[in-house]
Amino acid sequence: MSARLSFEGLVGGYGDVSVVRGISGAVDAGEVLAVIGRNGVGKSTLMKLLFGQLPCREGSVRFEGRPVKRLEASQRRGLGMSYCPQERPVFDDLSVRDNLTLMRPDRGLAAFAPLFARFPILAQRLGQHAGTLSGGEKKILSFVRGLAEAQPLLLLDEPSEGVQWENVVHMAELIGAAKAAGTSLVVVEQNLAFAELIADRYLVIEQGQVALDGRRAEVERSQLLRYLHV
Amino acid sequence: MRAASAAVLALLLLPFAVGDFWAYQLGLLYLYAIAALGIGLCWGRTGFLPLGQGTFFGLAAYLSGLALIELDGSAWLIVLLPLAACASGLLAFLIGVLVFRRRGESGPYFSMITLALSLLAYQVANNWESVTGGFNGLKGIPGLPGLDSYTAAYEVAAVALAVSAFGVAWLYRAPLGVLWAALAHNERRVVLFGFDGNRLKAVAFGVSGLLAGIGGALYAPQQGLVTPQLCGFGLSADLVIWAAVGGRFRLLGPVLGAVLIGALTSGLRDRFQFWEIGIAIVFIAVVLLFPQGLIGIFTPLERRLGRRPAPAAGIAAPARRDPGGAAKLLVEGVHVRVGEVTILDGLSLALERPGIYCVIGPNGAGKTSTFNMLSGELAAQAGRVSFDGRPLARLATHRIVRLGIGRKFQIPSVFPALSIADNVAIALWSARATRLDLLRPRLRRWTSPVFEALVARYPFLADAGRTAAELSHGERQILELSMALLGEPRLLLLDEPCAGLSPQETAQVIAVIRWASERRGATVVVIEHDMSLVRELADHVFVLHNGSLLAEGTVSEIQGNVAVKAIYVGAEK
Amino acid sequence: MEPVLVAQALNALYGIASLAILALGLAVVLGLLGVLNLAHGELVMIGAYCAYVVQAQGWPYLYAVPLALVVCGVLGYVVERWLVRPLYQRPFDTLVVTWGLSLLLRKCAEAMFGLGYKSLTEPIGGTVEVLGATYPRYRLMLIVVSVLVLGALVLWYGRSRTGTRIKAMAGNPELARALGIPVRRYASATFVVGTCLAGLAGVMIAPLAPVQPFMGLDHILMSFFVLVVGGLGSVGGLLTGSAVIGGSNSIVSALSDSTGGYFCVLLLAIVFLWLRPRGIHARS
Repeated sequence: MSARLSFEGLVGGYGDVSVVRGISGAVDAGEVLAVIGRNGVGKSTLMKLLFGQLPCREGSVRFEGRPVKRLEASQRRGLGMSYCPQERPVFDDLSVRDNLTLMRPDRGLAAFAPLFARFPILAQRLGQHAGTLSGGEKKILSFVRGLAEAQPLLLLDEPSEGVQWENVVHMAELIGAAKAAGTSLVVVEQNLAFAELIADRYLVIEQGQVALDGRRAEVERSQLLRYLHV
Repeated sequence: MRAASAAVLALLLLPFAVGDFWAYQLGLLYLYAIAALGIGLCWGRTGFLPLGQGTFFGLAAYLSGLALIELDGSAWLIVLLPLAACASGLLAFLIGVLVFRRRGESGPYFSMITLALSLLAYQVANNWESVTGGFNGLKGIPGLPGLDSYTAAYEVAAVALAVSAFGVAWLYRAPLGVLWAALAHNERRVVLFGFDGNRLKAVAFGVSGLLAGIGGALYAPQQGLVTPQLCGFGLSADLVIWAAVGGRFRLLGPVLGAVLIGALTSGLRDRFQFWEIGIAIVFIAVVLLFPQGLIGIFTPLERRLGRRPAPAAGIAAPARRDPGGAAKLLVEGVHVRVGEVTILDGLSLALERPGIYCVIGPNGAGKTSTFNMLSGELAAQAGRVSFDGRPLARLATHRIVRLGIGRKFQIPSVFPALSIADNVAIALWSARATRLDLLRPRLRRWTSPVFEALVARYPFLADAGRTAAELSHGERQILELSMALLGEPRLLLLDEPCAGLSPQETAQVIAVIRWASERRGATVVVIEHDMSLVRELADHVFVLHNGSLLAEGTVSEIQGNVAVKAIYVGAEK
Repeated sequence: MEPVLVAQALNALYGIASLAILALGLAVVLGLLGVLNLAHGELVMIGAYCAYVVQAQGWPYLYAVPLALVVCGVLGYVVERWLVRPLYQRPFDTLVVTWGLSLLLRKCAEAMFGLGYKSLTEPIGGTVEVLGATYPRYRLMLIVVSVLVLGALVLWYGRSRTGTRIKAMAGNPELARALGIPVRRYASATFVVGTCLAGLAGVMIAPLAPVQPFMGLDHILMSFFVLVVGGLGSVGGLLTGSAVIGGSNSIVSALSDSTGGYFCVLLLAIVFLWLRPRGIHARS
């Protein structure tokens, strides 16, 4: 049985600098792969390579067995990948409601009811421009949008950045529910406590390469701390 | 030099080959070519496009025409005609000062304003009948005193063209020309070396106005008639087309364009209705596909014939005039807000002793924004910053740099199309070259003890043959770091200087940073993510979070700090 | 109400409406795609010439509208696809290329119609009584049509799904792509809308100004200055910019002459360039 997403020896970066220097990993259906590391090590670059916003210089990416390295982002989305970027995660000029329903068949919000129950702040601000939200609120909005797309694979880049802990816990619950429904997630995080709530596998990155990887049971907290600590 | 002299001789002797009439026509084209040189200077060299050079050509032509009519035969003309050209130059310079004021991109606005200007000039020339003769123009302008034949008119134009071309060539070789080329690539970086980018662009525009003025001043006696068409859109557009098709990136490209295309146009315009349409298509094709223009055809030939410049002996640069002692930086309660986002939130920190300071913090903490604020690129809504006791508020970036603050970006921002030697030279001129110095080509051979020390470590820095674009990423990082050091700043701001470097290169950079701090007494502030580097380098660490200072201390103090651990690892509350 | 005041008010309204409808095409392309289309004025000229052709053939004036839309639409599609699209990351080169295009279009018009001025007759002649003042019917119609077009565009942009997606694309193209918005297709369509609006404006103003190959120059400059003053983000800005530019031009021209008016507009543009590079109404 092939993994839902697998990548081997990825190399890529900006200009002629390779930020990601040979990273491999995989995630199965109903699993969360947590990508951990300090900032600047190449986590966001890895996500961009996986989603197709940056071209891979070397290596391969397979989604449900198909090679997708040559496909661009919109095509990968069509195949079943969703992405919530780290920077500029929402459309500031659009209302919260429009951000949520932009690519859906209609403007109805019925499907969002359980999500609004967890994050009432969004329901309160439906008519407001997303640009007026705080950083954490934007992240919540982006997360809800991505989750509602209900695609087989969801890529989240630092979803908890700026989010208060109680909402982070809600995010973890929702991710758990999505997992149970069969969704795979790759989550980049600096917040170890959050990662520990959701991860089935860890991929620890340092200086563009894999420093440690393994399933939840195989990896100890102290090992992870070493790579996150100052 | 020999080739140039031969060319000038051939130029002057041409009438004897092609006959009077053709010489006369060529003479007119030479005057246009002088104006086209100016467009090459602005567009090809400095990177902004004037769409209304007819204004300056026409202004000088009218002034010259009026002078010739009023003072026919007088000796005053020797002074007044050049003054007419200078008037155009001065007007262009003033407009440049008015328009180039903001930080950052003003290209499209500038082009539109010059376009509007030429339309305005046309209207003024058309309507002010009492002075300009209105639509029919200024008629019956006498020729230059004593020069009556066609050949004489040609020689005057040829000499003016030769002199102008030499003048522009000299400017290109002088530091001013190198800075213009640098501006076209990366204006922000030029400003961060202490040069007033806006003033340099205004000077470039002024020179181009002067060149158009020379053409215009000589046009009046040559043609005997000055009409408002000169000021208007037609000539301005033609000059841009000739400069582009001829080849705007080389000195003589615009000249080639003006003479060749101008000659063809005047010959073919009436015969082929589609000639002008064809030229417009050629122009679009050149801009999209063949930016080198016609003169690009000769470049491979030139490369074969040309020789590498022999390395010249270095000239010692004057020492920087600096107050002694360690740099003192004081930041108090600085708030920076852009739109609705708070970037810096009451940031306060103090640097009083020399040494290496590291700034760390998660994404979005405001580290690079702090540097941008210090260099004057980000305005603070509240709080104070002082350097050596001097407040930095509202000082322009290039002035702040001249006080002794140097910067290196995370992504190497050297000037890719310039040679390594020119890159280094720009750094050496930083805060040392006076305005007048910028006109002296000798300054390209400046060297300093710091430079020699750096070359000893990195020999490639002395390579005058290669451009910076040919360097590897690691070499470019080192080049930019060296350039930041050559300015001998007392406060050096380095943004992730080891990004993308191999371990060996990283070790070298660390050595250089230590050397700068210990030997030169500079205060170095480094933004870093890599904790192993921070541990090696830092005397003192600042931890930034959400736009303010969370903690500071030695590396071990920071490592033991609970709040710092929390933001890196994630807290539960 | 005083008939003179009514006439003045209508004149002012006419001035604002005509400037606004002329600048609208440029605003759409510059505001949403970040492209300064220097050939905008020539597209207006093409629209005007379409009207001339229709009138010369003796057809009803209204036929000029679809003609102009087709010609300018096709032109817009071709230009976006081959001249502008390769240069989205290089705004300066886009400026140069569209300037070259404006030259080309002008020369083509010159070749086809000659340099002379063409005069069109107003399709709806005569005057009409408005609140005690008599005002030319055609100008009144222009005001009404401008308001309708502006209003329809704003409503569509604000309410429709495609409009919202285009807005998203304009503000955050990376995220738009990530969400599957067909950015290339939308960019092309936006550009075509911009050129069609220019052509439509040309048809509207053709009877009111001499139609000649160089007429576009004034329009691109005035439109650009309207946007400098009024900003790119809103209809309010467009109208404010039109009011300021049109108003100052009229007042100063009346006091001195048209050259003075032009000079005043130029000065205003430079001042606004210093103070508020984004104009009065910043992008909200």
